[in-house]
Amino acid sequence: MPDWAEPVARYILEEGLPGTLRVAAIALTGSVLVGVVFGTLITIRFLPLQALIRLYIEVFRGLPILVTVFIVYFGLGEVAPQLEFDPLGAAAIALILWGSAQLAEATRGAVQSIPREQHEAASALGFGWIGRHRNVVMPQALRRLLPPGVSLCANIIQNTTLAQVIGGLETLEAGERSVERLTAVPPIGLGEIHAFEIYGFVAVIFFLISFPLTRLAAYLEKRLIV
Amino acid sequence: MILGVTYDLWAFVSENREELVDAALNTLKVSALGILGASVIGVTLGAARAYRIPVLSPLAAIYVEVIRNTPFLLQIFMFFYALPQFGILLDQFTVTVVSVTVWGGAFNTENFRAGFEAVPQRYREAGTALGFGRLGTFRNVLFPIGTRIALPSSINTYISVVKNTSLMYVIGYPELTTTALNIAALTVETLEALTVLAVFYLALVWSLSALIRVLEGRLALPEAR
Repeated sequence: MPDWAEPVARYILEEGLPGTLRVAAIALTGSVLVGVVFGTLITIRFLPLQALIRLYIEVFRGLPILVTVFIVYFGLGEVAPQLEFDPLGAAAIALILWGSAQLAEATRGAVQSIPREQHEAASALGFGWIGRHRNVVMPQALRRLLPPGVSLCANIIQNTTLAQVIGGLETLEAGERSVERLTAVPPIGLGEIHAFEIYGFVAVIFFLISFPLTRLAAYLEKRLIV
Repeated sequence: MILGVTYDLWAFVSENREELVDAALNTLKVSALGILGASVIGVTLGAARAYRIPVLSPLAAIYVEVIRNTPFLLQIFMFFYALPQFGILLDQFTVTVVSVTVWGGAFNTENFRAGFEAVPQRYREAGTALGFGRLGTFRNVLFPIGTRIALPSSINTYISVVKNTSLMYVIGYPELTTTALNIAALTVETLEALTVLAVFYLALVWSLSALIRVLEGRLALPEAR
């Protein structure tokens, strides 16, 4: 191992990776909360509400996530100064908008896939809308949401790298800064380009996190079909 | 007047019309090339996977897993910043087309593999009974039916290819995202630039989604209808 490798690896793992994991955790939690609520509400036959949620889903699934990141980071602050976020915060919000739209669509499908008899049986037991969904429909629907939820998790983790574009310190940005530092002329850097090794290391980190998740999603999907 | 307080979408569009139109055409151009390349890779490697061709099939599987499990942005960095280390210098346009092609090709390999494998066994047997060899059965039976089965998922991949071209902002290829934001950086018309981007991408993505629904109805296999 060359001398420069250890400090670079430490910097990426200690400064970059926590940023990635923090953004991913916030984005995943927010996406699940908003997505499941929106996806359930859209199954209620009330046209204005359905239209609003449908618009939300189509807009944030349709926009490239990077454009959503720019809208949150550059656009919101322009409209209202109190809506200014740091790069990692803006990336997390953009990922919630995108992830919740994905999950809302999956939730809608899962809720609507629960046979009508289940609703009727629950009503016959005296449950109202909330009780029916909490005790009968959602426990079954949520199980069907598990595979898309796990793949969304992998996608969110990969897409946290979009924070790099606006300068947020996550794994890829830590790698990029390391490449630049080593490229600088001595005494600041080494005057050497090590982009391949460093970005390769970043790729390995993402692969090790993402591969088990995509395998798990495929496994769950197969098991749930049976 | 304070900069950035006024919102004039029309002025932004008309003053930068030529540049924006060129940029939108660039987005369409690299998207089309990416879709074309991704289709070729997808059909070839998807068939290699479905037929379990030795060496090629496991290599294709590794390719798919590596691309699917690493961030697209990182792949762009690899092509643009890491390859020059080995003396391979690619310009922005080439990196754009290569990266969206490699990314879309990986997802399409999976789409087409699933499509080819979903062709009922009796169709292949029918092809053999008609005297077609392996290649003939593929060309006349598996390919036309399998690609139709794979159509919805492959169009979803193409939509993602179009959206992914926006990431070329990081290497400065003058597609729409790069261009609109570069203009905004000079004129402080950030909201106008973001509006143009949102309207353009939504119109494009929504039309492609509508196309899926039309094609799905028209190209669905008779028995799936």
